[in-house]
Amino acid sequence: MEREVAIIGYAQTPYEEDADASREILVLRAAREALASAGLSRDDIGTVITANNDYLDGRTISNMRLVEPSGACLKDESKVEMDGAYAALYALMRLLSGFHDVAMVIGESQASVYPTYAPGVMTLDPTWDRQRGLLNEVSAAALQARSYMNTYGISEEQIAAVAAKNLGNAVKNPLALRAVPGATVEQVMGSRMLCSPIREMCAWPATDGACAIVLAAGDVARKANRAAWIRGVGFYHDSYLTERPLDKMTSLKMAADKCYAMAGIEHPEVEIDLAEISELFAHEELMAYEALGFCAEGKGGEFIDSGATRMDGILPVNPSGGVLAANAVCAAGLARLAEAAMQITGEAGDHQVKGVKTALAHGQTGLCAQENIVYVLGGE
Amino acid sequence: MKSGEGLKNVKRMSVPFAPVFNWSVGNWMEQFFDGLKQKKILASKCAACGRVYLPPRMICERCFDKTEEWVELPETGTVETYTMAHVGVADNGELEDLPEPQIIAMVKHDGADTCMAVRVDAQDCNVGLRVKAVWNAEPDGVLDALSAYRALD
Ligand SMILES: [Zn+2]
Repeated sequence: MEREVAIIGYAQTPYEEDADASREILVLRAAREALASAGLSRDDIGTVITANNDYLDGRTISNMRLVEPSGACLKDESKVEMDGAYAALYALMRLLSGFHDVAMVIGESQASVYPTYAPGVMTLDPTWDRQRGLLNEVSAAALQARSYMNTYGISEEQIAAVAAKNLGNAVKNPLALRAVPGATVEQVMGSRMLCSPIREMCAWPATDGACAIVLAAGDVARKANRAAWIRGVGFYHDSYLTERPLDKMTSLKMAADKCYAMAGIEHPEVEIDLAEISELFAHEELMAYEALGFCAEGKGGEFIDSGATRMDGILPVNPSGGVLAANAVCAAGLARLAEAAMQITGEAGDHQVKGVKTALAHGQTGLCAQENIVYVLGGE
Repeated sequence: MKSGEGLKNVKRMSVPFAPVFNWSVGNWMEQFFDGLKQKKILASKCAACGRVYLPPRMICERCFDKTEEWVELPETGTVETYTMAHVGVADNGELEDLPEPQIIAMVKHDGADTCMAVRVDAQDCNVGLRVKAVWNAEPDGVLDALSAYRALD
């Protein structure tokens, strides 16, 4: 990239079922804390990009009253109505334009406020699928999971192993909503069946929370307290879910390839030390291993069985607990970026993995991961 | 946020949000619906690449152009993937247990390149199962003319 850009500050609120705070206060806490961690003040901010959703917030132009808590008053400000990882992309572009040196990026939502599964239904084709009442986030993900399992011979236990790993990891993340000490495959397999093969512990939990990161370019980044440099980014959009093969994540693979080319990564399975993946449902993490080139096509099940992605494995995935541990919609992918940055700067606390020099973060939007974005971050 | 004692859920304000939008279904879906009334399954076809869309789409995303041809497809197809749904989304937007589990499948009609998400009336299902459309004898409207699919004998 012409201009080097780094994540120099970050903060997440605790993820809760029903946060005892308004959205404005959640955003204020995350934004102030992120800015403080960057060692900057509001005067230093050039541009503010938020990720929020009119439907989730129950108001149109839902960023409007976030001007105050995001620090955006009388500043360059805009919004994406997608995952926060895309807000970070927008901010990155603003910095690469050369017009700004510092960007504040915020994602937030409160599932306790909106009807949890209605937004997913609202994303369906209104003239047919929505009228038929069969598809929703869970049944759509179940169709994706079955398709993947059938093509590649993946077992329910291998999918459950993702949930057991991530919910177990979450115990060491004080901000996680759902943490299960010593979570086992048997425990996951015993949780309530929602839509086969998706069980309750393999599906995201309804979550309140916010995440903020501070991006900086040029001298500001070089002089910062800490820096996780953005080495590459890639993003692609796939077809509507009934019009594409569901047994693979084509847009994620393309996004990863683009990102790796930019970051100069040729062997992701060796060169990447850690990944934070947006697995809204457990099977998506296995599919992502393949799309991200961590293992060969169809080998996602074997890869989790090998222990490679455990906290003490060769390529730990989701030491934070991932999205299965907390899914504040619009903040989830941004939180992956924050977590990946924390691992690079050595500030991940109890879930810190040793020696992380190159980390990957993934965000997604849309039913069955229709759109995917991948970042590679590096240290000095 | 732990900023004060007894602050938990001080007050909840209900904000109704129930707009009704009147979408045009578009000429293509209208033809599809008209077909269903006559128990015909009509799909749109891209003249450039030959891709057959069911439900019909007006635009071929690959060719970046309108689909101009129509083809009538047989009532038979193949299950590409399926789920046994134990829950659905209730009117209040939360998950609720279904009275009976139901099989939802992505069915690719013979001759189509895309899938339709449909209900399959069967005890069991598997990927590759051959199925046939079941027409509703007394549909309420056009949307439930095609009621479900059943396994081909
Ligand atoms: Zn075409």
